[in-house]
Amino acid sequence: MGLFTELKDSISRATDRLFSEQEPKRIGIYGPPNAGKTTLANRIARDWTGDAIGTESHIPHETRRARRKENVEIERNGKTVTIDIVDTPGVTTKVDYEEFTDEMSKDDAVRRSREATEGVAEAMHWLREDVDGVIYVLDSAEDPITQVNTMLIGIIESRDLPVLIFANKIDLDESSVKRIAEAFPQHETVPLSAKEGENMDEVYDNIAEYFG
Amino acid sequence: MPHQCTNCGHTFPDGSKEMLSGCPDCGGNKFQFTPARPPERTSDNTQQAGSKADTAGSSAQRGAPGHERGGAHGRVSRATETVRDWVTTGREREESGSNSSETAERERSDSFPEWPDSARPPSERSGESSTDEPAGGARRNSPTQSPPASESARRDRSVRTGSRSTENPEDTAQADARSAVVSPDELPPHSGTAGEEADGADKADPPDHGRVVKEPSGERPSLEQLREELNDQFESIKVVKPGQYELNLMELYDREEYIVSLQEDGRYVIDVPDSWREGADDS
Repeated sequence: MGLFTELKDSISRATDRLFSEQEPKRIGIYGPPNAGKTTLANRIARDWTGDAIGTESHIPHETRRARRKENVEIERNGKTVTIDIVDTPGVTTKVDYEEFTDEMSKDDAVRRSREATEGVAEAMHWLREDVDGVIYVLDSAEDPITQVNTMLIGIIESRDLPVLIFANKIDLDESSVKRIAEAFPQHETVPLSAKEGENMDEVYDNIAEYFG
Repeated sequence: MPHQCTNCGHTFPDGSKEMLSGCPDCGGNKFQFTPARPPERTSDNTQQAGSKADTAGSSAQRGAPGHERGGAHGRVSRATETVRDWVTTGREREESGSNSSETAERERSDSFPEWPDSARPPSERSGESSTDEPAGGARRNSPTQSPPASESARRDRSVRTGSRSTENPEDTAQADARSAVVSPDELPPHSGTAGEEADGADKADPPDHGRVVKEPSGERPSLEQLREELNDQFESIKVVKPGQYELNLMELYDREEYIVSLQEDGRYVIDVPDSWREGADDS
C-alpha cells in the first residue's frame, strides 16, 4: 500500500505545483519481460537527471513494481520537454516460478513469481489509469508477434495513446528491427540498444516529438 | 432410436418431439418407427459403439468442432450423426467379420438380429429396396425382415405428420407432442460428450439387464466444463498453484479496482478506486 499512497501523493503534489504550467506527460514504458525496459528507463534517467530508476537484471521480472521518475527534462533543438517516466513490470500471461529456480531457491522463486504477477496487475492498472503515452519496448532478437504484444498494443490503440515502439537490443546478432517494423507497421519503430547507448539521439528526438 | 427419417435416415430417440418440426438434416416429414427392441438391446448397442470408441470418438470429434451450424439445431444434427456413425460402425464390424473381440462375442451370443432394411439409412439398405422410392412407400412396401410387431408399434407410437395425422383423431399424448416445445433436456447430448460416454462405456462392464440410460444425462458434464472454461476466461488471475499464475490481461485492464497483492490462499488484496469511497472521504 505504501507505494500506492506515495504515487497518489506524488500525483497530487504534481497537480498542486502545476497550476500555471502544463503537467508533465506520464510516459509508461511497457513491454514483455526482459525486453530491456528498466535498462532503457535507467538510460534516459541517467542521461537527463543523473539518477537511475531501478535494478536491471537478466532474470525476467526483476521489476515487479512500477517505478516512476518525475520531471525528466529532455532538451531537443533548444526546446525542453518534461516527462514523467514510469517503468513498469514486464507484462505476460503466464508466470511460473520454475523459470527462476535455476537462479534462486524455490521459496524465493515462488515469491518472485507472485510479485511478478502483482506487477503485471499493477502495470495493466496504470495503463488504464495513469499514462499519457507509451513507449513499447521489444527485444528485437525475439519474435514480436505474440499474444501479449498484440493485446497490449491493441489496448493502447483503443485508448488513442501516442505510442512509440522501441526495437531494443540491436547490439545482438539475432536482432531484426525489420521484423518489428513489419509486425506493427501502423507505429513508428525506433531501433536502439539501451544497454550500449546506441541510437539514443533518435530515441530522444522521437520522445520529444511524440510526447512533447 | 426407434424413429427414423425415411428420407435420409436421421434417427430420433423414442418419444422425441424434435421430429415434429421436420427432420433437422433433410427437412423430411416422414418418419418410421424402428421395430421395438428390449431395452437392454439398446444399452448393448451403446456398448457396441463403446467398443468402437476410437472410431466413434473420432467421428464425434469430426462432427463437433468443425460444424458451422450453431444452437440446438446444430447440436442435434451432430449428435444424430454420431449416433448414426455408431450404428454404422457397429454394423460394418459385424459384416467385416472382425468378431473375435469380447464385445463381438457378446453380440453374437445375444443373437442380435440384422437391422431390417427399413431401419437403416438409405445408403445401406439392401439392393431392391430403392433409396429413390418415396419415403412412406419404401417402408410400407418393403418385404424384408420387419418383425410383425413393427406395424402395430408404428401405429401406436410413431409420430406421423401429414395425411396420417388427419386420418386418426389425436389422443392427448399426440396433441401434447404436437403442441409442446422440445426442451433442451430432451435433445440428444452434444456429440463430443457422446464420444466421451462411449469411452466410459467401453471400460465399464456391460450390464446384462437394466434400463436404457437417457442420453441427455451426458449434457451436464459438458455444461460444467463450459462454465469452467468461461470462468477461466474471465478470471483476472488464476492461481494454478503457488508460484504459478495465469493472467487475463484484458480483465486486469478492464477492472476498476487494482489488485495490490496476492495472498497464499489465492485471495486478493485490492485497492478500490477513489470514486468508490468518495462518500466516506467527504464525510
